[in-house]
This record gives sequence, C-alpha cells and structure tokens, in this order.
Amino acid sequence: MTNNNQTAIQAHNMNVYYGSFRAVEEINLNVAPRQITALIGPSGCGKSTVLRSFNRMNDLIPSARVEGAVLYHGANIYAPDVDPVEIRRRIGMVFQKPNPFPKSIYDNVAWGAKINGYKGDMDELVESSLRQAALWDEVKDKLNQSGFSLSGGQQQRLCIARTLAVKPDIILMDEPTSALDPVATLKIEDLIQILKQDYTIIIVTHNMQQAARASDFTAFFNMNEERAGYLVEFSKTEDLFTNPKNELTERYITGRFG
Amino acid sequence: MDELNNQPQHYFQDDNDQAYPQGDAAKSQIDSRHRKGFIWRILFMAALMTAIVVLVALMFSIANDSFGYVVVISKIDPERLALNVINERLLTMPNTQSSEDDTALAKAIAADPQGIGFFGSATYEQNRDALKPVAVDGITPDRETAVSQEYPLTRPLYLYTTADILAENQAADVFLNYLITHAPETADGYLPASESDLAQAQQNWLQANPALPIPPGTWPAINPAGIDGRLTISGSSTLAPLIEQTATQLEEAGFAAEIHHEVVGSTAGLEAFCRGDVDIATASRPIQSDEIELCRENGRFPQAYPIAADALTVVANPALTFLDNLSREELAQLFAEAETWQEINPAWPAAPIHRYLPGADSGTLDFFARQILQPELAALPTDDLVRLLAANISVGRGRALEREQRFYQDKLVFDNPAAWNEACSQPKGARPSGCTAPPRTQAEIYDLVVQEVVQPDVVETFPLYDTLLKRESIQRQMAAEYPNGALQFRSWLTTSFITDPQSSTPEAAGVRTAILGSLWVIVITILFSFPVGVGAAVYLEEYAADNRLNRILQTNINNLAGVPSIIYGMLGLVIFVRALEMLTSGALFGLADGTTANGRTILSAGFTLGLLILPLIIINAQEAIRAVPTSLRQASLALGATQWQTTWHHVLPAALPGILTGAILAVSRALGETAPLVIIGASTFIVVDPSGPFSKFTTLPIQIYQWTARPQAEFRNIAAAAIIVLLVMLLALNATAVYLRNKYSTKM
Repeated sequence: MTNNNQTAIQAHNMNVYYGSFRAVEEINLNVAPRQITALIGPSGCGKSTVLRSFNRMNDLIPSARVEGAVLYHGANIYAPDVDPVEIRRRIGMVFQKPNPFPKSIYDNVAWGAKINGYKGDMDELVESSLRQAALWDEVKDKLNQSGFSLSGGQQQRLCIARTLAVKPDIILMDEPTSALDPVATLKIEDLIQILKQDYTIIIVTHNMQQAARASDFTAFFNMNEERAGYLVEFSKTEDLFTNPKNELTERYITGRFG
Repeated sequence: MDELNNQPQHYFQDDNDQAYPQGDAAKSQIDSRHRKGFIWRILFMAALMTAIVVLVALMFSIANDSFGYVVVISKIDPERLALNVINERLLTMPNTQSSEDDTALAKAIAADPQGIGFFGSATYEQNRDALKPVAVDGITPDRETAVSQEYPLTRPLYLYTTADILAENQAADVFLNYLITHAPETADGYLPASESDLAQAQQNWLQANPALPIPPGTWPAINPAGIDGRLTISGSSTLAPLIEQTATQLEEAGFAAEIHHEVVGSTAGLEAFCRGDVDIATASRPIQSDEIELCRENGRFPQAYPIAADALTVVANPALTFLDNLSREELAQLFAEAETWQEINPAWPAAPIHRYLPGADSGTLDFFARQILQPELAALPTDDLVRLLAANISVGRGRALEREQRFYQDKLVFDNPAAWNEACSQPKGARPSGCTAPPRTQAEIYDLVVQEVVQPDVVETFPLYDTLLKRESIQRQMAAEYPNGALQFRSWLTTSFITDPQSSTPEAAGVRTAILGSLWVIVITILFSFPVGVGAAVYLEEYAADNRLNRILQTNINNLAGVPSIIYGMLGLVIFVRALEMLTSGALFGLADGTTANGRTILSAGFTLGLLILPLIIINAQEAIRAVPTSLRQASLALGATQWQTTWHHVLPAALPGILTGAILAVSRALGETAPLVIIGASTFIVVDPSGPFSKFTTLPIQIYQWTARPQAEFRNIAAAAIIVLLVMLLALNATAVYLRNKYSTKM
C-alpha cells in the first residue's frame, strides 16, 4: 500500500460475485489522482472485473454482484441511492476493441456531451477533445465521415476523445492496445502520458513492458485455489518491477509463470 | 524446368508415423472423404432442384390460366360496327355517288372530268380506254404486282354454296367444277387464286362429291355438255364479269341449264343465299360471323370457294392529268375528308372532288375501308361512338347511362334538358352523379359500346400451354364448334382488370375493390402490430429481468407463432367483431357505415391479422436487437447515457434493418392470409370501394378463394390473374424490405 494522501478512487474490501461464483475477493486498492495505475496479472485473475467495478459496468451482467465498497469522493458508489449514470459520466471507460458508434466522427464525440446536457460550443468541444486525443490533425477534414472509416488505432483514439468530451475525472482503460499494431500502441501510450496531467487513468494490460514503461503504479493480481482473483502486490511501478516484495510477483514479472 | 511439369504422386511415402495410413492407403482415404462430400453435394443440389422445379411449376400453372386463347362470340362483330361507321362516312361525303353496278360507276367516272372511284380490275379492263388507273403507293395494279402481293389492294374473290346444294343441284355442281377447273386460266381482268385458296376450293368440292370414283390427288374435270336444270347466282358486282363470261363459255360447251344471275353486291347476295333464296352467292370479301349465323339458322352450312383474285383498282377520269399516284394516306384523305383536290396537295386544282363509290352492300367498299381507313372501333372518335351507342341501345338505358356520367359537357344525347335540370336541382345526396362528374372520355365510351352493343361473350377458354403448342387443333375445334366466334389471345391480367370493381361476369370483373381492401387492412395491421411488436421485443430484450415469468412469456410467444391462423380468426371474431363491435363498427364515433352496422370491418380484419403476425414481429425484432453488439451498448453506457438513450440512439437504429426485414416478411404473410378473414366475415361480393377503417371489405386472397370456387371456367382464369396481382404486391413488399435494409445498413 502506498501512503499517498490523496485518493482518486478506492476499493475497500471489495468482492465481486457472478452468481454464486466469487470472481475477486477482498480487494483493497487506493488509486492516486493524476497518475497512471496499471492492473496486471495472468488471464482470469479478475483485473478486468476490478476495473469494471470502478464505474459500475458490471451492472450490465445480470448475475454480477458487488460486496464491499468503492469509494469515490469519499462516498460508496454502490450505495443504494447512487445513479450509475452519474458515476459513468465522471468515470469514463475505453474498451479493448475500438467501438466507435456507427455515426460520423463529429457525432461520435458530440453525442455523449449532447445527452449529458452540454451547453457550450459543441464545435469547440469536439475540436478540443479530438486535439486532446491527438486525432484532430488526422480527421479535421473528414468530420462527417463514419467513425468506421478510420484505422484501428485512430478509432481507439476517437473512443478516447469521445470519453474526454464528457469531461470525466477518471478514465478506465481495459487493454486499450491489445487489438492494435505496435505503432498504434505507442501512439496510445504517448497519449496516455499526456492525459495523465489532467486525468486519473487506470489501465488493465497484459503487456508487462507496457505497464513498466507507461504506468506510475502497478497492481499485480493473481487467483487463488478457488479461481477467485486477489491483489498480490500494489506499489510504485518502479518498486514493483525492480524490487518485488512477493515471490509470486517476482516470478510473474520475470516470465516464469502466467 | 522439368520439375514444374511433374505431377506429385504421393506425399505420404516418407511419413514416419505408421498410425496414419501410408502411400496408396492415404490417397484412397482422402478420396473417400471427398466422395462423401460429393454425395452430400449432390443431395443438396437435388434439394435445390426440387425447390426450383416446384417454383417453376407453380409459376407455370398460374401463367397457364392467366393467358391463352379465348373464343369470343359477340352479339355484333365490332369490326362490322366500325366498318358501318366508316362506310357511312364515305358514302355521305359531299359530291359522292354510289352504285352497286360497277359498269355504271365506270361510265359515270368516264363522263365526269372531276370523277374518281374504285372497283374490281375486271370492270376496269372492260372500260380501260375511257379511264385512267391510279397507282397506289407508287405501284400500278397489274397481273405481276398483284400476284406477288406487292399491290396493296389485292384480295381473293369467293363463291359460297353448301355441300347439300351441290349434291341436289347438278347444274350448280358442274358450274363450280368448271370454275375450279378453269380458275388458273382466269377470265379477262381477273387474277388467279393463290395455290392454297385453289386447293381449299378443290377440297371443298371433292367433299361435296364423295361418290366420285377418282384417285386422291387428282382433279376430275366434268364435261358440262348436256347438263340441264336451273341455277341461281346472286352477289358481287366485282365477280359479275367472271360469272357472265363463264356462263357464255359453258353455253358454248353445251351446258343447257338456265343460269339466273343477279348483281346486288356481296352483302345482299350473301343474305339472299343464307335465307335460302339462291344456290350460289358471290362475294368480294369473306363471309362474316353474323352471316354464318343467319345461314345456320336456315339450315345452310356455307363452304367457301376462293376461285379468283382481284386487284381493286382506283380509277380517275383521264382529264385529271395530275393524278398518277396516291399514297394510302392521300387515298384516305381523298375519300374520307377532302372536298377539293387542293386540300390533298396544294399543287392540285381547287375543283371539287367527285367520288363514285360502290354501294354500302358491296364487299369492295368494305375491303377498301378495311385496307385504307383501318376500321377499329377503339379508334373511332367520340361522336361516332356515341352515335353507335344511340343507335343500338334503348333511350331509357341511354338516359340511365347519361345520368351516371354524361357524354358531352355541353349537350345531352339521351335526356331532355328539362328533365336533366330537374334531376340535377335535387339535394346533394339524391342528385345523379352525372350532374357533377366530368364527361366520359373516348376510351370510356368505347368500353361502354363494347359492353352495351358488341356484348362479347367468352364461350370457351384455352390454357396457355394449349395456346402455344396446340394452336392448329384449337383452330379446328373452334371452326367446328363456334364458326361465328372469334379466336383471340387474351391476357386476363389487364389494366382494366386492376382498375375495375368486382362483377358477376368474369370478363368484366376486376380486383380494384380487393386491392384497396387488402391495402387498407394491411395498413391497419402494420399500424397495430409494428409498434406493439417492436415495443414488446425491446422490453423483453433490454429491460425484462431473466426470471421465470419472463421465460414463460417468451416460450408462449414462440408457441403463438405456430398457432394455425384460423384460430386467430376465431379470436378476432369473438373479440373485435363481437365484443368490441361498438369500436370496430365505428358506432362509438358515430361513423358506422350504414351498410355494415356491425363489426365485420377493415378495422377488425386489420387487428386480427395484427394479432396473427404479432409473435412473428416480436421474435424477429428480438433476434435483430440481440444481434446488436454488446460493445455498442457498453460504449453508450460508459459515456453516461441512460438505458433508454442507449436503446433509442444506438440499439434500435442498429437493429432497424433486421426489425424491418422481419416485420415486412410478417406483413407479407398477413397479406396472403385468407382463413382468419373468412372467419371474421370478409365480404364475398362487394363492388363498393372501402372508404375507411369502418367499411366492409374484401381482400385479394378472399377474392381469389371465392373465384376458384365458382363453376364457370373463366373465373379460374381471373383467379389466376388475381394471383399474379397478389404476387406482384408481395414482391413489391419484399423489394421494399430489401431496399430499406440496404438503405439503413449502408448509412454508416
């Protein structure tokens, strides 16, 4: 555990169940604001489940259930009177595969702002969002074209721009580069480094090099005998990779299992 | 490189693993796998072939009944009707004289410096010194141009008699035999009959003389010497010189019978013959159906003897030096329109044209009118058609028709103005429709003439298959059974079939009422079942929890899709027709159709069919919604969209092509449904177009069903034609589905 005073979002004794199956158990995690936190671990260890718990995307799975608390601004987002719609606006998400809307590039960015009641200059918002996502120069002449006309890497940056347009606090990224080629991956990584100045970023990755070079903090998950995921070690990325405290962590980062 | 041409034989020779087949065994193992696949492929192809054969057979059986020959017997031959009008027009032109005697015409033309006329070539030959022939379309009538059919006014000439007369009257028998024997030599001014015509004449004569001991293929020339008796001939002036010359020749050869010959024109001659007054009729045109009918009534079965041909010759007074050639158009103008020569050609003098024509009873006038003026009833101007109508229907009937819809905007034909004004000054409901409706068009009046005067009656129909492949046997059968009938190719699917209302006579029946009924019902069906079905599907897919109740609901919906449609009809009868009668009859809104006064309305039918296809729409829409990728929903929700916004902005648009396709297929099914509508009480016979959701109705499938149950064969034909209309509507619906799907799925 870090001793950072400030916390963007915090999981507190969090358990997630799918039906009667416990997918992750007893997660305690403090995510630092304006930092990049990477979640790593072998397949099936529940890191995506943890990520999705942070903006209640698990609600979409009918059998999913969360116990414990996720504290955001000091309040539990799983409290009965909390509206997930409000949470998701503040805590955006970028998915594994680029999933732009079947709309124009402009509408892809503007739609989220529109439904959330944005009253400012829409053109300006679209431009600034696309600039922030480092996509503006590539698409400024074809804003009316379909989002699907872009390449995979561009589509993913469009999805990031779309997320930025609703001015979130935290951006969750679920293996955002796993469907992309190395060049597009590097662009996204560079982009994340810039976004970190304004946003808290939590990123799930399979790629340990990516975690090592692109994140500030790293959480390593593993699963126990009942196939439930648990947090093995969480610390500054530098520390975790150079001086792992746990033997499992060391074995994982040196490629001996996972 | 030689290796390029080497065929690899066995890749498996060096395989080390003995658990797999080696060498030839490996090859044959692969071959056997291919063989299995091949057998399946053949089976699937056979399945496809079966489907194609069934489809083709279906299409064929529909087309077979929709098109084909029909035998039509008209009360009055429409061409005769048109010919009469044209003949009358020709004969009533100014400066026109007519005579049945061609010689008199020839003399009159020779005496009149402005005279022009036409008659058979024989008469011209007799008077050639005093007359001047006029070429038609640049072709002069002579033997050569006539035999080659190059000259447009060449026609066969006929003698008519019966086998009975020839058997009884030896003089007539020998007279005809002599004419046929000497036909190829031809008399002065006549042309030889064509070979087929002559063969027909010979065959007819041989049939009338079955007892003659002659080998087949030979022609017995009978010596006329010593034959006596009496022979009466009547008819065409064109044939008169031929008869006279033949009589003279026969007399020289020792023929002792008395020949009584009258020149009265083809029509009068045939009439005399058919009444039984004369033995032989001469005609410059073929006998007509009404004349055959007359003959039959008098026990005479006329046989045709085309023994010569004639080139109808247009002749002018030699003083008309400018007149050498006339085109067909100029001929039509000259005899039917112009008053002076100048009107035809500005270079010609302004003197009046003096026309000399054969009389109205003459086959020559008919022939001329037919060749030059195209006597088609449908092409006649309104005035002529109205006159025909007035001459052939009662004043009472005419007045009724006129009150329905008038013939002229500015004048009345049947009614008198006082009665008309009185009828039209009545209050709106009681006023005849003719007061306000625009006058009938030429086409409408033509239809009226056909209906009221010509009165065609289809007495026999032939399927398309026979029409195409057994034409000759049909023609034989028709000549034997309906000699006065006309064999026509008829498509039962016509524009008037689509635009006419239902009728109890198949020839006049149409499907307009049924098409409108189907469209109304379908619109109600769509308005009811589409929103309800899609709404239910959205709820089930996007909102409903996965609990026991919803699973039971889902199972039931799936089962409902398989319930027989007649059950829905009974449901509709109980709910919409009976229980909700106040609503479905429109009584609740004070809109009840006076003739219905119960719930058997378009609304009930639409709701019933809506219920029928509701499960299909729900299931299809569910499938379409389920096919929308989850990532799209997640993307939307992750931006802070509500469930409803996600559904409305992303799920439904993405599912729309699939929803539309499914819905339109379901609607296609509703369009073809019969059983539930029969149950809820669709009208079987209705001629009033539906005017709204509270009207009585019939639909296309009901109409087809009802027609196929009728005993008359023609109803089967119009049922087939209605099936084609229904198929076209279904195809149009499906095409719309394809269009919408493509439109919405390529949008982004």
